[in-house]
Amino acid sequence: MVQRKGPNVLSSNEILVAQDLRKSYGQRLALEGLTFTLHAGRVLGFLGPNGAGKTTSIRILTTMMKPDAGHFVVDGIKSKHPEQIRGKIGVLPENLGFPRQMTAFEYLLYFGQLYGQTAADTTAIALKLLNDVGLYQRRNSLIGNYSHGMKQRLGIARALINDPLVIFLDEPTLGLDPRGQQELLELIKNMSHERGAGVVLCSHMLSEIESVCDDVVILSAGQMVARGTVAEVIGRTQQNIVLRNGLKLQVLPTSVAKAIQILKAIPSIMKVSPMGAMEGWLRLEIIEPGHGNAEVGYQINNSILSALIRAKIPILNFEVEGGRLQDVFMHLTEEVIT
Amino acid sequence: MSREQKLMADPGKPSKRALPAWWLVFIKEVTELWIGGKALVLVFIYSVFLGIVTFVIASNSELSLIPPKEMIYEAIKNVISVSLFIGLIISADSLSGERERNTLESLLLTSASRRQIIVGKFLASVTFWPVAFVIAIPTVKLLSQGDAAFGPGIFWGAILGTILVLTYVGLEMLVSYWSNSNKTSYFVSISIYALFLVSAQLPEEAQIGVIGRLFQWINPLAAVNHFLSKILMNSINFSEHLVWLEAPIAFAILTLGMLFLYAAPGLRLEEGRGSRLWMRFSRTMGLGVIVTAIFMMGTSPGLALQTWTDPDQPLQISINNMESKTVKASDSIFFDTVVTNTTAEASPMIFVAMNIINLEHEGEPIDPEDWSPERTQSIDSLAAGQSVTLSWRVNAILDGDVMIYMVAIPQPEGKHLISHPIASPGIHLTVTPFTKLSPLGVLPVAMGGPFVLLMIIYFVNRRRNQNVDMGGSL
Repeated sequence: MVQRKGPNVLSSNEILVAQDLRKSYGQRLALEGLTFTLHAGRVLGFLGPNGAGKTTSIRILTTMMKPDAGHFVVDGIKSKHPEQIRGKIGVLPENLGFPRQMTAFEYLLYFGQLYGQTAADTTAIALKLLNDVGLYQRRNSLIGNYSHGMKQRLGIARALINDPLVIFLDEPTLGLDPRGQQELLELIKNMSHERGAGVVLCSHMLSEIESVCDDVVILSAGQMVARGTVAEVIGRTQQNIVLRNGLKLQVLPTSVAKAIQILKAIPSIMKVSPMGAMEGWLRLEIIEPGHGNAEVGYQINNSILSALIRAKIPILNFEVEGGRLQDVFMHLTEEVIT
Repeated sequence: MSREQKLMADPGKPSKRALPAWWLVFIKEVTELWIGGKALVLVFIYSVFLGIVTFVIASNSELSLIPPKEMIYEAIKNVISVSLFIGLIISADSLSGERERNTLESLLLTSASRRQIIVGKFLASVTFWPVAFVIAIPTVKLLSQGDAAFGPGIFWGAILGTILVLTYVGLEMLVSYWSNSNKTSYFVSISIYALFLVSAQLPEEAQIGVIGRLFQWINPLAAVNHFLSKILMNSINFSEHLVWLEAPIAFAILTLGMLFLYAAPGLRLEEGRGSRLWMRFSRTMGLGVIVTAIFMMGTSPGLALQTWTDPDQPLQISINNMESKTVKASDSIFFDTVVTNTTAEASPMIFVAMNIINLEHEGEPIDPEDWSPERTQSIDSLAAGQSVTLSWRVNAILDGDVMIYMVAIPQPEGKHLISHPIASPGIHLTVTPFTKLSPLGVLPVAMGGPFVLLMIIYFVNRRRNQNVDMGGSL
């Protein structure tokens, strides 16, 4: 990876601080009270259903749109200096168009120079980036002949051509095959950890946010409903979800009948039912799991597992409903909408 | 050697300084337009069009009799009009097209200033004009048949064409700036183009008189056409007609000032600047343009004619339908004079006499008897406020530059009394010698231009393909 010059960071490695951003389109409020901090070397996931205000947030933070209220600071540069901020950020927009008649190398050379770099400096950076994103061999091909995945990689290289401090990636894996998605996520991790850049990752793929991001901001209907590290947000919300939800566990298909019999004998379990087409999976509903006390709820989980282990039933999977980012997301966004 | 190899082989030279953003945008846009892009294709189509028109003129016995001065004027006028259309195709897409193709965002995300982006795009959009004009020079030369108006034609065509192309490209970029889709941008740009073009092509009758002249004067295309016609067909000193360049220059300053000073700094992902005040203003302006257009279309010859009257003169004489004309020797021209009694009393008998002078020989009189079947006509008497129209015919006998004017002479009331003859405005007639283009003679020029361009397209694309890997997607 290209070595970045030392960042002129805010306090404690803060490279992006957004404070109470607000935006409305006419009467419709698109975003309100967006406040968060991004640290160098960390990946921040931006989550939210359609119309939650993600695109508006990204447009504001990338200086493509002015907020109605609030402000943000990138590497010590205030939002009232958008041209200076643009020199510090790299962006992969959701729908990035490419000129069909340019080669990948020409494309990067052009954008590098637009950031004020010399042709020779940009050449070195462009070739290094093309190598990093796996396009070096095809650098002299017309972009019009590129596949979608190659264009996404080129888009990431373009976002890095100015050696940015903050990188915004809007749905970077959209339309990629699973292998392409995996490779791109690895690339994002490397960008953050090796370059020391902060990454803001917008995605609908909750699993990829969970696997790549250190921090998360969840938006719903223009409101910020959660903010913190991924573990904090899941943990904080889980306490509420676990009280009303159940458990999922997977045993060997041959042990399903025996497992149901054992589980039904546990007083805390109200209902045990096989999960449709998912062979060996059972869903358990708990009766008042802890009366608002999460510790009691965890004890119930342990007693269920103990019972199965004592009966020598092999447990293939065990999952608390609400223990994944997807559950947190569904819970929080549903709350705001209702 | 590819650009990458060149840069890697000699990294010292280009690394001395960073290039300005406008230059980078300009080079990128020019490359896109001219290598496999629409500029080269449009210019090729234009050269084919020029070739066909030239051949048709030379082959058609009627058209080939058009005097060379008029040929030069018509050719330059059409070169400018077609070039403005090429400019429209290129520039109407410049910003709205990038929005539509999602390529504008990545450009706006760079630290390049918005104004420099607009400057680069604007300069690239006008690169077609010098090429188009140079291609037209052999054609104009051919059509001029050695006439002395060729030099001034090229000189003024280059200057006036440049003013108009810069103006119209700027205007269409403004339309593109305020359009979210190419469809809207092209629709509005074509409407504006048609509005200016149609009003410039109104019949000669609608272009005289105060109203007719006013609309001709405020329409930059019509004003330039009028100026060119005076300079080329009537060989009038340009300083006498500089007033006709006021509107094109003012329009150019207004359009380019608006593009670079007002619009450019506010270039954004969405159309326009997002100012509600501006949107209201532009809607009002749009309505104004439509109302003006309707009014211009309604400008009638009758309206134009009325404006020649002068209440201070007891007798008025005007010439209808004609100010200046270029004809070939042996051609006939027809015109009317209108004599009006503006007093409150009946007039005495009035004689109307035709006079012709040779402008090339210090105003030497030409005997109208040779040029017209009737030298004088008479009117018995005109009641108060009454008008009479008299028809005339003039046969252009010899080539040269002549002025025809009519004099209305009231009959004196007694033997020792005088009367005051009144002269009409003159008809400036340019009579050219009889010449004819040879269809075979124009073929090399008619076919040469497109052929050379085709060769250029082939070699440019071949060279480009050598530098890129043409393989398909992985």
